[in-house]
Amino acid sequence: MIEFLVKRFFWLLLTLWIVYTFSFFLMWKVAPEGANLSERKFPPEIQANLDRYYGLDKPLIERYFLQFGKALTLDFGPSMKLMDLHSSQLIRQGLPISISLGALALSFAMLLGFSTGIVSALWRQSLLDVGFRLLATLGIAVPNFVLAGFAIILFVFILKWFPAAGWGRPIDLVLPALCLAAPFAAYIARLTRTGMLEVLGQDYIRTAYAKGLMPRVVVLRHAFRGAILPVVSYLGPATAGILTGSLVLERIFFIPGLGTHFIEAITQKDHPVSLAVVMIYTLLLFTMNTLVDLSYGLIDPRVKLNK
Amino acid sequence: MNAPKPPPHQAYDAAFPPLEKYETMLGEAEAIHGISLWQDAWRRLRRDWVSMTSLGFLLLLGLLAIITPLLPLQSFKEQDLKRRQFLPPTLSSQIEEPIPVEAEGDVPETETRRVSLAITQFPTDSDEFRRRYGEIWENPNLLDQAMIRARLTIFGDWCLPSLCGTDHLGRDMLSRLFWGARVSLIVGVVATLVSLLIGVSYGAISGYAGGWVDDAMMRAVDVMYSVPFIFVVLFLISILSDDTVKTRLADYGIDRMVILYLVIGAIYWLTMARVVRGQIISLKNEQFVDAARTIGARGGRIVFLHLVPNVLSVVIVYLTLTIPAVMLFEAFLSFLGLGVEPPNVSWGQLANDGLKVITPIRIYWWLVVFPAIALAATLYSLNFLGDGLRDALDPRMKNR
Amino acid sequence: MTHTLRTFFPYVFPFLFVLAMLPVFQFSELPKADFTFTNGTEIESLDSAHVSGAPEGRIIDAMFEGLYRKLPDPEDPNKMLPVPAMATGYELSEDQRTYTFTIRKDAKWSDGSPVTAHDWVFSWQRFLHPETASKYSYQLWYLKNAQRYTGRKIEVGDRVEIERDDRPNPAQTYPRGTMLAGVVKAQEQLGTEDDPIYVYEVQLVAEQAGQPQWDQPGETQRFVMIPRFDERKHAEHAANLVRQVLPHFSEVGVYAEDDHTLVVTLENPTPYFLELVSFYPLYPVNQACVERHGYPDWTKTENVVNNGPYNMEFRRIRDRIRLRKNPEYWNSGEVSLEVIDALAVQSETTTLNMYMNGQVDWGTTVPTSIIPELIERDQEKLNQPGREKEQPDMRIEPMLTVYFYRVNTTKPPLDDARVRRALNLAIDKRAIVEFVTKAGQVPALGLVPPGLAKYEQQVSGDFNPEEARRLLAEAGFPGGKGMPRIRLVYNTLDAHRDIAEVIQQQWKRHLQVDAELVNQEWAMYLKRMTDLDFDVIRAGWIGDYPDPNTFLDMFVTDGENNQTGWSNAEYDQLIEEAMSESDEEKRMEMLEKAERILLEEMPILPIYFYVSQNIVRPYVKNFYPNLQDLHPLHILEIDEAQRDFILKAEGVR
Repeated sequence: MIEFLVKRFFWLLLTLWIVYTFSFFLMWKVAPEGANLSERKFPPEIQANLDRYYGLDKPLIERYFLQFGKALTLDFGPSMKLMDLHSSQLIRQGLPISISLGALALSFAMLLGFSTGIVSALWRQSLLDVGFRLLATLGIAVPNFVLAGFAIILFVFILKWFPAAGWGRPIDLVLPALCLAAPFAAYIARLTRTGMLEVLGQDYIRTAYAKGLMPRVVVLRHAFRGAILPVVSYLGPATAGILTGSLVLERIFFIPGLGTHFIEAITQKDHPVSLAVVMIYTLLLFTMNTLVDLSYGLIDPRVKLNK
Repeated sequence: MNAPKPPPHQAYDAAFPPLEKYETMLGEAEAIHGISLWQDAWRRLRRDWVSMTSLGFLLLLGLLAIITPLLPLQSFKEQDLKRRQFLPPTLSSQIEEPIPVEAEGDVPETETRRVSLAITQFPTDSDEFRRRYGEIWENPNLLDQAMIRARLTIFGDWCLPSLCGTDHLGRDMLSRLFWGARVSLIVGVVATLVSLLIGVSYGAISGYAGGWVDDAMMRAVDVMYSVPFIFVVLFLISILSDDTVKTRLADYGIDRMVILYLVIGAIYWLTMARVVRGQIISLKNEQFVDAARTIGARGGRIVFLHLVPNVLSVVIVYLTLTIPAVMLFEAFLSFLGLGVEPPNVSWGQLANDGLKVITPIRIYWWLVVFPAIALAATLYSLNFLGDGLRDALDPRMKNR
Repeated sequence: MTHTLRTFFPYVFPFLFVLAMLPVFQFSELPKADFTFTNGTEIESLDSAHVSGAPEGRIIDAMFEGLYRKLPDPEDPNKMLPVPAMATGYELSEDQRTYTFTIRKDAKWSDGSPVTAHDWVFSWQRFLHPETASKYSYQLWYLKNAQRYTGRKIEVGDRVEIERDDRPNPAQTYPRGTMLAGVVKAQEQLGTEDDPIYVYEVQLVAEQAGQPQWDQPGETQRFVMIPRFDERKHAEHAANLVRQVLPHFSEVGVYAEDDHTLVVTLENPTPYFLELVSFYPLYPVNQACVERHGYPDWTKTENVVNNGPYNMEFRRIRDRIRLRKNPEYWNSGEVSLEVIDALAVQSETTTLNMYMNGQVDWGTTVPTSIIPELIERDQEKLNQPGREKEQPDMRIEPMLTVYFYRVNTTKPPLDDARVRRALNLAIDKRAIVEFVTKAGQVPALGLVPPGLAKYEQQVSGDFNPEEARRLLAEAGFPGGKGMPRIRLVYNTLDAHRDIAEVIQQQWKRHLQVDAELVNQEWAMYLKRMTDLDFDVIRAGWIGDYPDPNTFLDMFVTDGENNQTGWSNAEYDQLIEEAMSESDEEKRMEMLEKAERILLEEMPILPIYFYVSQNIVRPYVKNFYPNLQDLHPLHILEIDEAQRDFILKAEGVR
């Protein structure tokens, strides 16, 4: 396992380097002046000052090595749009918010997904099952910004359960997290249902029942564990999806997370900030994928971590 | 018990059935048509009414999208600020039009007229006709032009009433939905095909080559799995839609739509590559591959002519599940303002425009409900069809 | 080992998630602010010399204070009046060119140090300094020699200040390097256009106590200033290299007679000068703070030193800025609201949602599509018991702002005034304000908005497709034939897109002219505007002070904000002469004539005059609509009883 982790760490470094290099050259090649500097023609000495401040006064290749060195110390340079701020400040403020939102959403997704999935599998073809499945497909088939629009009208203005938007209290996260969770809950429910159905037909479950175990124990201890595997493998892609979805929901619910900063940064060509956020996202995604691979081995003894 | 031992040749005769038996067997064998996997799958799919309904719906939708210019629809881009802003869905094709009143103090009278394209009154080669044409349609291609001509001959000026209401600039929602369907479906299908092309070739080559090539190629896929592609895509699109870059690309005939296809297609191929590779590895030691090799077929020929057709079933299932994902992604891009540009429309964009008028004060429900239904129905169908196909193509289900 | 891990596994993920959610609870519940408003986009900077937007203006106005400050006129609260702020008053000389301001004795910076006249000398010098590159520097060019200072215009015989190349931090303009003073004896320009080398022969003068003694000339030296200095390329000049050569700042019309007397000398009599000094770019900054931290670090919450009614308590990026009452403010006794939150909400729908839900007391924008409903709602609430006399929430008032399109007059066919007039006449502005913008905007037939005293509005032709077609035909494009596609550029915003789409269709319908819509992000949009890379481009102009000049002086030849390539000698002359005309009536006549020329030539297509669209809870007192849409935060008050009543009536609490 140690060997596996070491290897993975090496791959992580390689991935980060590739992403950094690709993004760096792409953004500076296509939009060399970055944000804001292009607004007006400045007198030359001012332009020189600004160039020096943002490190644009050197050839691209030289800048690449310089800034890569700095990036290794997590310094991606000052923001070009929010002139008072450094990209690390944006990350420091935005990242915890986005992680909380994502984690809450994944928890909701699993909670909802597992429970409805199990219920669906146990009472197969019942009204409950059909209802859940229809609902689940709705979660997959409607874009989350449309879902959020309806949710705001329903939960905020008709039921008055949640605040309309904003950030600061834990309750502010609940509605966006629910909207974010919807499609993933739907997928998880589907996966759990299929997995459970397959497992429930197998011999060891029959043995467990035959031993006289309570149905609850059989389902939660034995069957569920077998059904969890496809769901775990789904968590990798789900993380990517959550990151994407949070872009939309942070915007609608006015949450100052990483996604908001990223969208603003790319549309305004605030290169240092976009680069920093892309790197953070790569790191998150890689870690999640590694965790998923790791957990395969833990859940299913048949899987060997040989890579 | 003690039956007399038959002579050896007689024992043989007894073991072989009589000639007639062979004939009947032959007849039976001829009667049994070899059922290919596809026929079998089709047979099973036909029994599944959910999948069949979905398939029917999708075929109908595709057909309607193709022949949209032929349908008696209103213009999807013509605005009517004065009379038709935020018109709720209606079955009537009457428009109320105030008649300017000269004297002050009078109640302004209204006159009603029918919804109409108001184009056939002009001779087709007149300037007036061309102007009106440009107001109604946006640079149609040759095929569309032919369909528009046919539509004008069949229906004349007549068009359907605003069954789905009108939007904030008084444009007909029904016709926007239809034209939007074209964009959304094309993005979904073409981007998926791009991903298919990349994914299948990559997976097949990797699986067939094996050894260090396979290792390297799959390692590359692993690395790419951890790249937040959505961000790269957003980045690419926002940069490529920069006006200077856009004009440069336009010289090569590349517009925003093409960029959308390419970049979306380029991120959805990873899973496809993995799946195809797995299938190819399990197939490549089969006898038919050896047979092909013996008669001198080269690697490329074996991969693309012999192996790839055998993994098509998996690919098709995956295809039906990728199209919805791509369509949702297009909606997501529209939400961020990076989708298709006006006056073109897509469902995602319509839904996003509709979302903006959902407020606690007033909800113009038709502006968001219809695009949402259109999207949801399509995605539902694709999902159900995908599930059905997966079951139908599952070899374990054979002959059931 | 593996087995135990395996047993625990189902709990590993939930545990991880709980761990990940900890940051949520780290943010302890924020105490609610007394007053919350939406401030639009995240502010770019707090440095008044570097910004030009309205959101930045609101925050800077709350944190800093100028000599004067604009407050509602007690007699007519819908008029804004410059009232004494950091200055207690001023004296105006006979020739109306010299203002002598007396600085308030009890005025303090938030670090406790006194505010003195020297603060303005420093701040204005920094503001005018070419290396500060302030977008608004022309607001101070009314000062004597100020424009020369910013533009570095030096003639032989001029007094100059020379900054040696020994700045403590080369990337910062302040603190500056060693300063020398002298008189230019000769100058020449070497190098190329792109890489100039300025050479000056300067006779230095001695200094005593920081003051140059002009009557004690010293030796003559050679100085070289190279904006793009490169050690390899310019090695020969390294010995004589200096950082900056500028007209001596003592020549510029501002100096501190003592700590509390500031003397300002203007080029010309400027009747609206008080309006200018109460505009945020001319507010002072703290010299010690700026020099210690440098730009942009001095504006960080922990560093900033300010002199206004509020301090910044904290800043959450793209979330909120929390302002807390500044106890050091001279008038803090009169400031009613203790804590104010400025939310960086951009979305109009979100603004409305938060407003309706009671999370926000003042929204600076509302979604256009439902303005009629909001007005109706204000009518309906009057029928409820106890609310008969309530003020409306939706405050729609005319603004000193015009929405227009700039036309690139340098390229055919738009260099023909007839074509431009035709485009103008083919726009149905009434339909746009009635059905697209919807809030009662006024169709603009001229550039200068209504509501300015003594100025008679000028009008061009109203919507007239017949005439438009005739003009286009006259210009050689009958029925739009031969007319190339027009690229119409606008910056990303749905409202702009809608208007552009409507105009696109109107041109097509009435003139058969095709327009291509080009959507650009803000930075690119500005770049295209400066580079004249457009045929027609959207623009808006908010009057900086209530005088027609703020609109008309934009279009002088090569003006900073002309950006149409248009040039007209008579126009330039009229604007120039009006500037130094002291008779108000004559001045207005000149400006009216200038606008007529502008409308005849049509380098712009005026579309409509804005209205402010604030949505404010009626329990917020002292909120008055005005032409410039200025709403000082420190005079606002909240009627607690009414607040509870209204929120209960609306079912928010």
